[in-house]
Amino acid sequence: MDWTKQIGRYVVVMLLQVLLFDQLQLLGICHPYIYILCLLMMPITLPHSVDMIIGAVAGLIMDIFCNSLGIHMASCILIMFIRPYLIGSIVNDKDRLNEQISLHAIGLEALLKYVIILVLLHHLTLFSLAAWSWHHIGFVLLETIVSSAITIAVIIGYNILRYK
Amino acid sequence: MQNLLKILQRYSNFLVFIALEVAAFLLISLNSAYPRSSILSTANNAIAWQYEQISNISGYFGLRHQNELLAKENAALRNQISSMQLSPHTDTIRYESAKVVQMTTNRLHNYLTINRGSKDGLQKGQGVRNEEGVVGIVRTVGRNYSVVMPIINTQTNLSCRFTKNDYIGTLQWDGKDNRFAQLADVTTHMVVNPGDTIVTSGLSPVFPEGIPVGIVESSTLKEGESYHSIRVRLHTNFKRLKYVEVVQNANQQEQEELTDGLD
Repeated sequence: MDWTKQIGRYVVVMLLQVLLFDQLQLLGICHPYIYILCLLMMPITLPHSVDMIIGAVAGLIMDIFCNSLGIHMASCILIMFIRPYLIGSIVNDKDRLNEQISLHAIGLEALLKYVIILVLLHHLTLFSLAAWSWHHIGFVLLETIVSSAITIAVIIGYNILRYK
Repeated sequence: MQNLLKILQRYSNFLVFIALEVAAFLLISLNSAYPRSSILSTANNAIAWQYEQISNISGYFGLRHQNELLAKENAALRNQISSMQLSPHTDTIRYESAKVVQMTTNRLHNYLTINRGSKDGLQKGQGVRNEEGVVGIVRTVGRNYSVVMPIINTQTNLSCRFTKNDYIGTLQWDGKDNRFAQLADVTTHMVVNPGDTIVTSGLSPVFPEGIPVGIVESSTLKEGESYHSIRVRLHTNFKRLKYVEVVQNANQQEQEELTDGLD
């Protein structure tokens, strides 16, 4: 997949995010951020620092849409920092790493581990920063679990549909 | 020196990570300080314009409800004219109507974007209401669009009073249900009954006195506490908010300068 396709996918996913997933109403605990699909599915071919800068820019754009300056940016930088170490520890077959991350390339088990860990980490960081106090901790955990479940389902579903 | 360079090279990714995170946290701290950039929010022209196009399409779905509200408001205005019960502030206050182009109601920090900005005379700190009651306070002003912090944002505080005896309280929101807010700072020697009417106090220049806020839904008194926990059913239906009015008080700046000078 070349980079124009990556950007095209990003535009479509952001439209879905803003028009559909930002409008979900479920007791105020359901805020799936599916835009990180583009970050998670990006091939690990660029230098690590460039990866993190891409994460920062994608997070900042989401922040502008949410009036929440900085919190998406911080969460995205974190997952982009951890991503190569995580994939290195999950996937043993090192020569597959130059390929992109997909069901076909790394298998279902590794893909599940990879997506679940990074989505939970992203959503937990994001909602903790948004609440910015221990007062809401129960709420933040519930919000993280419910929202992550939907984001994970969307990302795994996307991979299954694409590589069936 | 060479060793230092080697170490820097070895940890360069980690240093980039730290630098980016520091930048993100700087933005977070900027965000909580009051005046903030209109470019990095939905007051940004390009982003608000997109939301406006979307709301132009979805706007057709609420027309019947909007018509009912307008008809009700017309009736209320006619009554007001006939009895000439105009408030003493009337000559210094004008209303600027605006359309809501984007809004969230399901977060702790909700915001709405309206299609009026500095070119229409909007300034940060002005009050926003609709025909039902209080909506919020203007927070960020761009040239054509502004961001409003509604009362259903956990950071908002609004001074209110009971119509029955003029007692003052502070309206806050706990982040849970966008139909209800909480009224704090009401001491226990006052009797609070469900059904009591709450309006704006007029103590700050943001809102004139007497704009409807809500009705007391329930009130509990915990052992050993000196304040009531009051749950207020808000008049404003935030999930159907389409048109609002910005309160432009000609004396607001003067009033704020006077009270700021006291601190």
